[in-house]
Amino acid sequence: MSDHAIQVEALEKFFPPARSGWRAFLQPFEKATVSALAGISFEVQAGEAVALLGANGAGKSTLLRILATLLLPTQGRAQIAGFDTATQPRAVRRQLGYHAGSDLGFYARLTGRENLRFFGRLNHLAPSAVTKRVSELAEQFSLGEALDRQVRTLSSGTVQRLSLARALLHAPRVLLLDEPTRSLDAIAAAEFRRFLKSDVLRAGGTSLLFASHSLQEVELLADRIAVIDAGRLLACHTLDTLRQKTGAASLEEAFLRLTGRKGHLVEEAAE
Amino acid sequence: MMRAVRELWAFFWRDLSIARTYRTVFVIEAVEALFGVAMFYYVARFVDSPQLEHALPEGGSYFAFSLIGFVFLDYLNAAMDAFDRSLEEARDAGVLEHLLVTQTSLPMLLAGSATYPFVVSALRIAVYVAWGAVLFAFPLHDANWAAVFAVLIVTFLAFAGFGILSASFLLLFKRGNPGKWFLLGVSGVTGGMLFPTTILPDWLQVVAKFNPVTYALDAMRAALLGGEGLHSVWRPLLVLLAFAAVLLPISMLAFAWALRRTKTTGTLMHR
Repeated sequence: MSDHAIQVEALEKFFPPARSGWRAFLQPFEKATVSALAGISFEVQAGEAVALLGANGAGKSTLLRILATLLLPTQGRAQIAGFDTATQPRAVRRQLGYHAGSDLGFYARLTGRENLRFFGRLNHLAPSAVTKRVSELAEQFSLGEALDRQVRTLSSGTVQRLSLARALLHAPRVLLLDEPTRSLDAIAAAEFRRFLKSDVLRAGGTSLLFASHSLQEVELLADRIAVIDAGRLLACHTLDTLRQKTGAASLEEAFLRLTGRKGHLVEEAAE
Repeated sequence: MMRAVRELWAFFWRDLSIARTYRTVFVIEAVEALFGVAMFYYVARFVDSPQLEHALPEGGSYFAFSLIGFVFLDYLNAAMDAFDRSLEEARDAGVLEHLLVTQTSLPMLLAGSATYPFVVSALRIAVYVAWGAVLFAFPLHDANWAAVFAVLIVTFLAFAGFGILSASFLLLFKRGNPGKWFLLGVSGVTGGMLFPTTILPDWLQVVAKFNPVTYALDAMRAALLGGEGLHSVWRPLLVLLAFAAVLLPISMLAFAWALRRTKTTGTLMHR
């Protein structure tokens, strides 16, 4: 078994072009020509937290979805705890907690508790273990009485907390989080980051790969930062190394320099 | 084994919990069943004659013959609908990818989706027959319940393959059930639903011999009306099991292929 929690080697992903009308019928059989990932390689060590930083459409979610076994790579390979995501998906899923970054993803007419219980059972937790774990996470995420309300009546922030609780339900070794605090208010987001840092990463030894647009969150949580642009990995370093290599004073500046967007921003400001 | 039962139970409990939030549907369906039974009773009174009763395979009334044909077709409909309906609901609610990152296997995911529809459609048959027995003297005194239960299970297995094929089609093309109308349409004519297949022209009787519905209905009427035990209905059950043995593995392979294809094209969650 590999020492790496996550290992990505020369990963490429192409999608077929989007079609509409009757041609959409043929899309499942079309050749994949649209590049989403172009030969990405990096590793995440056990217990390490790595942030994926990139503009919309850079390929962050595609990468996370390949690692979560929801997409198949076109070329290259991705491994979780030594298991290949394309050829050993069930072994991969045993190691994995996944949060999709959307407010959807639950049965709207079931309560939060019923939803968590259901997903706990599908992750092979015993009934008593599910009950115990749901109580722990409900307290951790301040779900309180929301846990016994139908999901359709909950705010998007509460649904997001429920989704994060689901990702942690079976105490996975590797966490994949796509924009974990997107719908959370400032207090809930700060609380979640604190919990993630102290209880999950430091105490639990879990490895984390997360995508975020919040530079504050990235600085706070990530041991290393992977900057992605147009499906390419531009850099994967600690914050200090990133600043040093780009000669930037802040993460924002380093990101803009690496992605070549600084010039665009200056031009936009001048206009 | 215990884990499989727990997972099936989790799926069943999920669907039951969702159904409980629409309580009035249970009442409406029970009343609808009453009207359905009454309609068949009065149609049978209108057309019944000693010659007709003599022409029916189990003898007895046309009311019993046609009611079984009608409710059983509803049951087959449920068997074929179970998979793609569950898949479509999961996709539209954004739950599908969260189901697919759990540790549950694909066969379990499919079996779980069908558990509740199987139980509910079997209960629907019971409600129709109960209304018939209580209000319109539907003959239940000879029924062999063990054989009836066996016919229900084997029939569901035989038709589940069609349902899984339909779900595969839904995964690829986003709309399902292309063959359902054909199968149910052909079955309406050649399956012996409302009239015995012996009155069909010779060439249609040949078609009927290749139609699994014919065997399912023969077995159900023999068990429910004729009181025949498993020792008598084994022949149609064997034919249905042969259908299941061929169709289930093929449909599972088709579903696995379709899922793999959508993971390649990135269209898993597309509507």
